[in-house]
Amino acid sequence: MPKLLIKALQNANKEKLFTAANLVVMTLTFLVFGLFVLIEVLAQTALSKLEKEAAVTVFFKDDYAESQILVLKSTMEQDKRVYTVNYVSKEAAFSLFKELNKNEPLLLESVTASVLPASLEVKAKNVAMLSTLSDEYAKLEGVEGVKFFKDIIDRFSFWRTILSIGVGLVLAILVFVSFSIVVSTVRTAISLRGIEYEILKLVGATDEFVKKPLIYQGVLYGGVAAFIAGLVYALVIVGLLLSGALSSLGISDFILMAGLALPAWVFALGLIVLLTLCGVLLGYVSSTSAVKKYLNY
Amino acid sequence: MLTSFLRVALGARIIIGYNACAMKKLPKEASPKSAPLVVFQDVTKCYADGFTCLDAVSFTIDRGEFVFLVGRSGAGKSSIVKLLIREQNPSSGSITFDGVDIATIPHQELHHMRRRIGVVFQDFKILPSKTVFDNVAIALEVTDAPQNQIQEVVTNVLTLVGLLEKLHSFPAELSGGELQRVVIARALAHEPDLLVADEPTGNIDPAASAQILEVFEKINKMGVAVLMATHDDRVVDKLKKRVIRLDNGRIVSDVQEGKYA
Repeated sequence: MPKLLIKALQNANKEKLFTAANLVVMTLTFLVFGLFVLIEVLAQTALSKLEKEAAVTVFFKDDYAESQILVLKSTMEQDKRVYTVNYVSKEAAFSLFKELNKNEPLLLESVTASVLPASLEVKAKNVAMLSTLSDEYAKLEGVEGVKFFKDIIDRFSFWRTILSIGVGLVLAILVFVSFSIVVSTVRTAISLRGIEYEILKLVGATDEFVKKPLIYQGVLYGGVAAFIAGLVYALVIVGLLLSGALSSLGISDFILMAGLALPAWVFALGLIVLLTLCGVLLGYVSSTSAVKKYLNY
Repeated sequence: MLTSFLRVALGARIIIGYNACAMKKLPKEASPKSAPLVVFQDVTKCYADGFTCLDAVSFTIDRGEFVFLVGRSGAGKSSIVKLLIREQNPSSGSITFDGVDIATIPHQELHHMRRRIGVVFQDFKILPSKTVFDNVAIALEVTDAPQNQIQEVVTNVLTLVGLLEKLHSFPAELSGGELQRVVIARALAHEPDLLVADEPTGNIDPAASAQILEVFEKINKMGVAVLMATHDDRVVDKLKKRVIRLDNGRIVSDVQEGKYA
């Protein structure tokens, strides 16, 4: 195998222009692929953060007694769909209001604790439940109104989907372009070495001896290009981590699809490995297709 | 055969017969020594356009035999060569090499047989960017032979064809006759049982042809069977070997110590 790998490297070296073109286009492809992964993971991280913050706030009428609200709180806490329930009294709401508007003395003068309603802040175990809970709470006795972050989450999810589709489409196009470039490179290599393959056949070379260097060539292009792209993203992530930009965004861990939380540096390493494996796979599939189609051995 | 000859002729230890893997699926001398090396049995080859280039051709080649295949262009000489190395398959009939029907050899095992048949073509089939040494060494590189063995074998086969002094020359620096001798050296690198040559003197001058013929004769004396397709009457007449004449895809004569005419 090392001999055939060396032969593949020699072939790549002989076709410097093709090698450069392959590496540039495939690196571009995997930069977009990395962007796709990063968008997905960052969106997942942000969504997870939003979901943790998201809560239904149930505001009560002034004449609804605190004892009644606390009874309702206990009932809500029994609900399996509910994660936590926090009671915010009129006084606590006023304190919060004062803290938030401490630079607006005129506003503070016009507002007293009695104006602000008491409320219950309900967090659901599953953010999808918020809408149902909101509808149910709105019908309860003593409830003046219900608010929750549905719009924000919906809008976020919508734009995330649009972005994912857009980047996904660009990625699909680039994957196709990369595939085509590897196929044409291998095809050209086969045409240029037609006499060599004839000779190899005559002297009894095995299929493996002829085909493997061509396949390794594709694998090398894909693997090296994807590794470069992975390295770029890893450096960006580590840079953001060291500069403190991630912590200022409130990101300590990257949350993956399955809810798995990874520290930034682990994620960066994982991204390099993921991209490199995908690069190797793309190179292998492209060069194998080209060999099957164009090498008449 | 070749190994022992070279040991005597060159007074040097030579390692050619290391290609044990080549014998794994198609054991060397699998059939008894008295059995023919090659058997063509009622071989017919038709092309898609309906043209029949070989029509029920039958002949045998014994071990160590020298056979000329003669006939006009289009008589079917090259087709026999291509069928023998399974570059093409017969439409009907069978071709046996050392007791094995070559049609039954799986594609991935064909290299075992091809390493036992050296092939020389009129158009040389040589790599212009490689030196004489590299052009011969390629035959051994495909077997994963170690570098020191490649060096030794290449040196010896080039000595045999009289080209050792051109070891580091490139094809562009060689004459037609020298190029053909490089190809013969490459074909010998595997210590073949059979050397097949398709018009080997077709592209070279009479003096070079005579030299090539001497090389073939020398190789044949070492015990390697030779099948030479040619329409060069001087070559055929000089050696007085067996001559199989083809006409319109049929064997019209098969004569021991024959002549071209």
